[in-house]
Amino acid sequence: MIWATRTSVHIDRAACAWLIRRFIDPDASFVFVDDAAEVPAEATPFDMRGAELSHHGDDCTFETMLERYKLADPVLWDIARIVHEADLADERYDAPEAPGLDVLLRGLSMIRGDEEVLAISRPLFDGLYEYRSRTTLLGREPS
Amino acid sequence: MVATVPSPPEKRQKWVLLAYRLPREPSTPRIAVWRRLKRLGVAQLLDGLVALPLDARNREQLEWVADDIADAGGQATMWIGHLASRTEELSIINDLAEAVAVEYRKLVAEALAACDLEDVGRRRTLGRLRRELRRIRQRDYFPPPEAQQARVAVESLAKVAEVSA
Repeated sequence: MIWATRTSVHIDRAACAWLIRRFIDPDASFVFVDDAAEVPAEATPFDMRGAELSHHGDDCTFETMLERYKLADPVLWDIARIVHEADLADERYDAPEAPGLDVLLRGLSMIRGDEEVLAISRPLFDGLYEYRSRTTLLGREPS
Repeated sequence: MVATVPSPPEKRQKWVLLAYRLPREPSTPRIAVWRRLKRLGVAQLLDGLVALPLDARNREQLEWVADDIADAGGQATMWIGHLASRTEELSIINDLAEAVAVEYRKLVAEALAACDLEDVGRRRTLGRLRRELRRIRQRDYFPPPEAQQARVAVESLAKVAEVSA
């Protein structure tokens, strides 16, 4: 499937792209557009104004994706809290990791193009997922 | 120190503007929109017209607000532009800087007052003021001198708390 989102990806879109490739569509390819009008007809838009897979109410797109694709994995919902705070910083959740992740992604998007940001952030999110899985299993922070 | 504002019209500060109308009732979405705009530190130009310095993040954040307004049965359009008059531009920038300066001054006063608290109260206040400082900095686009003062005040409080720990 082809997925479309806005250029200059940041935390929410990078996290969604990771989620799509790992949990929804392993063969996903992404296009980056400046305007909703440029989304190719066959592409599924996300994190764009007017798209179904986007912010809804107080939810960021990553949270919307988990809802729409019925991904109930608690580790993903745990990551969703971090992504939400890194993206919106509305203090709905206590996510001390968020400001750090926000700065990392922001800096990355200053020196790399969108494709590369996705490629580099992928193992970052894989690692975050692994870390949080172990936290959940152990019931404490893994060493 | 107001950030250097380029003077030739083509180099003027660019702004992203949100023009919107939202039904007076129900009031919940109105209040939610108002809160989000306040957190972003918008310049309120008119009732239903707000502006932020143009950057990718501000533009995106206003887009989400625009979507929410549409979802709540209102109308919203987004604009990108600059002021025709440099004097008016400076006036808006000064208003924005003054709005955060007020918040910074309040924070400085609280940090100073907390130095006299007992250990536990001091540390608790330190945590709260650090979060508050981060919040204000997120909507500080043209840092006034008070920004530095607030940072120093919170750092000083941290030092006092450390000594007594």
